[in-house]
Amino acid sequence: MSAKMTAKISAKTLRYLIVIGLIALWELLPRTGLIPELFLPSLSSTLIAGWSDAAEYGHALAVTLYEVVVSMAFACGGGILLGAVVGSLPRPRVLIMPMVSSLYAVPLVILYPVFTVWLGIGSESKIAFASIYGFLPTMLATAAGIQTIDPQLLLAARSMGATLTQRLVRVIIPAAIPTVLSGLRVGGALVIVGVVVSEMLISSAGIGYLISRYRTILDSPHVFAGVLLVLFMAIAFNAAIRWIERKAAIWQTGTRAGQANDEIASGAMQPAT
Amino acid sequence: MGENAMQPLANVTPLKPPARAGAIEVKNVGQVFKTRSQDVVALEDVSLEVKPGRFVVLVGPSGCGKSTLLMMMAGLRQQTSGTITISGAPIPEPDPDRVGVVFQEASLFPWLTAEDNVEFPLALRGVPKAERRTKAQDALKLVGLDGFGKRHPHELSGGMKQRVSIARGLVQDPPVLLMDEPFAALDEQTRMTMGDELLRIWAATGKTVVFVTHSLTEAVYLADEVIVMSARPGRIVDHLQVQLPRPRTYEMLSGDAFGALRDRIWRHIRKSA
Repeated sequence: MSAKMTAKISAKTLRYLIVIGLIALWELLPRTGLIPELFLPSLSSTLIAGWSDAAEYGHALAVTLYEVVVSMAFACGGGILLGAVVGSLPRPRVLIMPMVSSLYAVPLVILYPVFTVWLGIGSESKIAFASIYGFLPTMLATAAGIQTIDPQLLLAARSMGATLTQRLVRVIIPAAIPTVLSGLRVGGALVIVGVVVSEMLISSAGIGYLISRYRTILDSPHVFAGVLLVLFMAIAFNAAIRWIERKAAIWQTGTRAGQANDEIASGAMQPAT
Repeated sequence: MGENAMQPLANVTPLKPPARAGAIEVKNVGQVFKTRSQDVVALEDVSLEVKPGRFVVLVGPSGCGKSTLLMMMAGLRQQTSGTITISGAPIPEPDPDRVGVVFQEASLFPWLTAEDNVEFPLALRGVPKAERRTKAQDALKLVGLDGFGKRHPHELSGGMKQRVSIARGLVQDPPVLLMDEPFAALDEQTRMTMGDELLRIWAATGKTVVFVTHSLTEAVYLADEVIVMSARPGRIVDHLQVQLPRPRTYEMLSGDAFGALRDRIWRHIRKSA
């Protein structure tokens, strides 16, 4: 047990050490001239570049965040809703699932130029693109989550007199939460990717636009300041998902998604029959 | 009405005589599954009568419809022909006041604690929290799980999970308990222990129990009566009275009387398999 504990602690410490090491390398490698500043500007010059144009970056961040939040609402809300319908009704499942699955394999970014024709180069086209981009995995995961609910659970609920609504609220939703959450994690990450990429391709605002513009004038510190902002956004999103997962930890235990946590939790106690 | 209320209680004839509570009557029941290519006759002309407080075991080869018969007694499935009455009335839908059902171990809700699992049927009908808690704790105490209420199913062993399932089936105090291969997923030792535990609970509560199993030893060990069914279409081929004294003991397993009963069941099953 104690060996396990120390292994766990040192793994965490190691992670921090790696991050600190990478940050140090980011500063040192360009400073010592091992990597030209054009390819990798040092951390300090990146931060200074970002700070000196804080207003510009702030505005770009606001635009990008707005697009991300709206797309996230469409992608996750729509994905969960449609996934639930498709997952619980056999006919639409047979009709729609193969189409959605093959659509998921298409690099959707090829559609983005079409969206700009339809919706202009403002936020609307980014939101449309990122929504669809993040919608697919969320929907697929939700449908799978609902489909894989153990029929025994529903039968048991019925034997106890549960109505259809009670089965939905008390069995289907809690049983689907772990799979839906893993879908949200992928879908949400793709929304961020979708927004930033579409901003980099054709746009007039946002962090992706700044990165792309500064790259064309070879201003590496400003490019990396934008990259850093996107990085923080991804980290913040990840933290948010983790928070939700912790809130739903009770649901996760005992299901496949929670099995890794289970082993740690139940390793300590082996109850008798 | 006023006059009736004035009459002494002894003169009032109750609508349902208490003697019938827990009685099960199955009359000429048939079950036909319609598939695309053909109609499959799962059960044919099954009739049986279970007196209140009896422990009856259904055995038969796989696919003989014994589980189907149990599901019909639970109101989870409707027969194609014939009638089934529980405590004197038909059972068109699940009625947890009359019938508790215990499934295989997968039927506990993994996101709920043992206590909440037992409370589930009460929560469905809006029983107040305090009353629910008391009843759940009583039921857990009855099955020997006092103090384990706060654990989740994944923190319990297979045997303990089935105790929780039994507690959940008994929490509304129905006169009939139906058990669908409840110990099939357990290892041999746990299975023996749980058999003894079930007999103890049965003796303490006086419920009518109908128990489906594949195990001939389990059937003879537990039952007052064993009903043997044939392979599809399921029919009753034998109805044995097990006259072994109670409490049943491990030593009886090797006795002649026990062996004779088990052999008789086996001969039926071998014939139809």
